[in-house]
Amino acid sequence: MHAITTTGLTKHYGPIRALDALDITVREGEIFGFLGPNGAGKSTTIRLLLGFLRPTSGEGRVLGLDSVLDSVAIRARIGYLPGGVALYDSLTGEEILDYLGELSGRPPVRRAELCDRLELSPQTLRRLVRDYSRGMRQKIGIVQALQHEPELAILDEPSEGLDPLMQRAFYDILDVLKNEGRTIFFSSHVLSEVERVCDRVAIVRRGRLVAVEEIAALLARRMRKVDMRLAGTPPRLEDVPGVLNITIADGRLTCQVEGDIRPFLAAIVDAPIVDLTIEPAHLEDAFLELYKEADR
Amino acid sequence: MNGPLFRHSVRMQRVKLIVVSTALAIWGFLLPVIYAKFGSQVRAVFDTGLFPAEFAEFGGGDLFSLAGSVAFGLIHPIAIILTSVFSVGYAASAVAGERQRGTLEVALSRPVSRRVFYLTLLVANFCFVAINVGSLLAGSVAGSAFAGVIDQLQLRNVPLLWLNAILLFGSFAAVGLAASVSFDRLPPALGVTLGYVVLMYFLDVLGSLWPDARFLQPYSLFHYLQAKSVLTGTFAAFDAAILTGVIAAAMGWALYVFPRRDLGAPG
Repeated sequence: MHAITTTGLTKHYGPIRALDALDITVREGEIFGFLGPNGAGKSTTIRLLLGFLRPTSGEGRVLGLDSVLDSVAIRARIGYLPGGVALYDSLTGEEILDYLGELSGRPPVRRAELCDRLELSPQTLRRLVRDYSRGMRQKIGIVQALQHEPELAILDEPSEGLDPLMQRAFYDILDVLKNEGRTIFFSSHVLSEVERVCDRVAIVRRGRLVAVEEIAALLARRMRKVDMRLAGTPPRLEDVPGVLNITIADGRLTCQVEGDIRPFLAAIVDAPIVDLTIEPAHLEDAFLELYKEADR
Repeated sequence: MNGPLFRHSVRMQRVKLIVVSTALAIWGFLLPVIYAKFGSQVRAVFDTGLFPAEFAEFGGGDLFSLAGSVAFGLIHPIAIILTSVFSVGYAASAVAGERQRGTLEVALSRPVSRRVFYLTLLVANFCFVAINVGSLLAGSVAGSAFAGVIDQLQLRNVPLLWLNAILLFGSFAAVGLAASVSFDRLPPALGVTLGYVVLMYFLDVLGSLWPDARFLQPYSLFHYLQAKSVLTGTFAAFDAAILTGVIAAAMGWALYVFPRRDLGAPG
């Protein structure tokens, strides 16, 4: 069974197409990245899956249940962290976690571990939320989403506001959950963290699905940027597979290398290279490439 | 009905509830004391014909009888403003306010249907209104005892008045909550509810002070709380039925609209 399936999921607000015929499948036990710039339709998709919005057409199924007809049953089995989570300022962190835990109807068996990893001390939890920093609020948001051990966690921009140390602690939590076989739907516009934590990624833009790929496959398609300084005749790279956009000027050669790098390395082995930089490929480049393709 | 949500609602409102209920109890206490102390003098002033006779029975209450003074206390702007803290303010903000702040999203991501969410808030709101009105009436009974006029009060009718007043202010709460589930932001929900209550009050007061406008009174829900009559033993089932009908209509609207409407991302 798939954790999430959407079939032609569409949401229009009058003439505005917030989401257009989205087809994605999230497998059980994977961390699925949902990537796109602000306004791409990520939050709309999540809200459709949770039953906050009604689809204009198409359907969404979460843990085998219909997102419209069975939304209460779905919400009993998931954990949700909204983007820019809002909390009750007049309550303490502990009171909020207690309240949301009670509403979940399941014991908060994971709270202590999560608080420990995210460095939320009992003293901190006893303070009013109005005195919390943005990062501390986000930590409470993460704990409330995961404290009851949901089968599926839907996290919208989860690392927003966390400092790098806490981001790492959060990624460790995701690793633990993944090793336990739990499914995580990870919505983000931060490419580096999707690259770091996700198994697969769906890329959306302007409400449309641009691509769904394994992260590894996406990275394999990436472009590496090569910059070499030469002391003599530049190597002939025009016919080397995967080498693109070659420019030579003032003893300097720049190009891009896609896919397998070995043919390129073989071609430059005898070149009079003074200095060589191969910039590691980032998901961002693959992402931008996909966007360019979608625009064409 | 959702227990954790109900307890949360009470916890969030408890300080406000104590303050408003205390103020209402004090207000309720004062009216019988004023009646006992100045009732005959006020009557004498009105008997001179200095003021129009309609002024003597503002909103169905007066200061010449104990029942009238209790009724006056219920319909006086001070009581309306204080009870409106919950029957208007809380009702209008219960959903729209949480929605505007973004906290509704976290709560509704739990396994709570929107119908149960709404009904729980409605029950909580009625409890707050019942405590408010109960405090006012308890204050009036205490004031009557303090002023030595308790023998003029038919105590067995006080629970009926309590019930009638709960229905009146509860109907405002039901309308407020219906507005609250219909809007994404607090100002329109609050505006609709407040406008509704002010209009109702205006129609009733206008009808009670100006004989030519008396025909307007049946269009005001305040007309269906005849506190003096209830205290003197005439409980009008029709009045209760009208108020119950308004509550039922508001509930019907909310139960139809809220589960069906889109809850987009908070602005």
